[in-house]
Amino acid sequence: MSAPNGSTSGLYSKALFTGLWRENPTFRLMIGMCPPLAVTTAVKPALTMGLSVIFVLVCSNLVVSLMRNLLKPHLRIIMFTVTIATFVTICDLFLKAYQPQMSEILGAYVPLIIVNCIIIFRAEACASKSGPLVSILDGVGMGTGFTLALCALSAVRELLATGHVFDIQVMPKAFVPWLALQMPVGAFVTLGLMLGLINVLTRKREVATEDPEATVAPSAPAAPVPATT
Amino acid sequence: MSRLKYFLQQSWLLLASSFCFGLLIAMTNAALSDRIEQNKAAKLNDITKRLLPGAEVFQPVAAEIQIKLPDGTQEQARILEVLAGDKQRLGWSFNVHGSGFAGPIELVLTTDQGFQKIMGFDVLASSETPGFGDQIKSDYYRRQYVNAPTEPLTLAKTGDPAMADSQIVAITGATVSSQAVVDIVNTFLPQIKSQMQEKGLIGNVGP
Repeated sequence: MSAPNGSTSGLYSKALFTGLWRENPTFRLMIGMCPPLAVTTAVKPALTMGLSVIFVLVCSNLVVSLMRNLLKPHLRIIMFTVTIATFVTICDLFLKAYQPQMSEILGAYVPLIIVNCIIIFRAEACASKSGPLVSILDGVGMGTGFTLALCALSAVRELLATGHVFDIQVMPKAFVPWLALQMPVGAFVTLGLMLGLINVLTRKREVATEDPEATVAPSAPAAPVPATT
Repeated sequence: MSRLKYFLQQSWLLLASSFCFGLLIAMTNAALSDRIEQNKAAKLNDITKRLLPGAEVFQPVAAEIQIKLPDGTQEQARILEVLAGDKQRLGWSFNVHGSGFAGPIELVLTTDQGFQKIMGFDVLASSETPGFGDQIKSDYYRRQYVNAPTEPLTLAKTGDPAMADSQIVAITGATVSSQAVVDIVNTFLPQIKSQMQEKGLIGNVGP
């Protein structure tokens, strides 16, 4: 590493924290949307799915990073897929052995991690161009961001659909469960509302940070407007 | 020769990594397969306990019972004799499987002690479509099999699901999955029954 210490630690912290919020795969980039819709009926399966994705993401990022200088450009996608499929299969076997109930609840969605575009996206965008440590941190950050998004969605759905969170009674007994939230429509509605809320909050923050610059803006030359068709 | 050299130059990494990854999966599988089998056996016993209340002892049947599958291959059936705590036979339990709409379906099927009636089934593994095909797990569908005779079953689109007969009423929107379960039962049950009769395992059954 020829970069000075400050920029190196900045690179590491960027790799670790970007996926948590600024480039959160679910709420900001909106990629890998199958699990957020399919396995968020309760927090436990959502957390299991999130941890599985972290495992696969970290392992595949590490392996892709180690072999990045040997990759032929036209064979890289098949190499990514083989790598990801290996770790997903291992993860699936571990779940079947040590978490059989979760493995059963998640069903086909664990093998489907192979085609989750977050993992192949990070392999292409980060691991194939970065060193092992940055790739691992990127995997941890992106995976954690994804897990937090799954847990947030599932907590809302489980709370309103059953009155429980993590199988613990939270709502008063008089609460009438909104069973629709456990159905596919509940997943879409909850995700849409959370995305809307996050967009509103983000826009408010952006407006607040942009305001001081607004006084400087008029003196700056106007940017050329690209011709559009 | 030069083409082979070019092929190896281009794909050596893929070949080498595929070998390493295959080895890694094989080692993981070897390390965990016993535990996975134990989990499956525990689940099978739990399901059997639900289907045959009072079941406590699960004794594998030693006799070799071969099942001819629809694709022409043969396999040995895994049959358990289910006994109560006082060693009285309650019935029989076995794993059956076949193809569903979205993938393989694996069931646990139980019969009474004389192999005259089905006592019920439950789904051990399936990847049928959630909300449609996976309704084969629903009580509505499974109840139709309770007390049905151990003879070939037929699937009907309409009928009385409460009747304990050989006619099973299909689930609306999941006819293929309903038919798959009926086919699986029809593949295994008559063959197991006839071979168990031949081997004297059923016939003159105790009290």
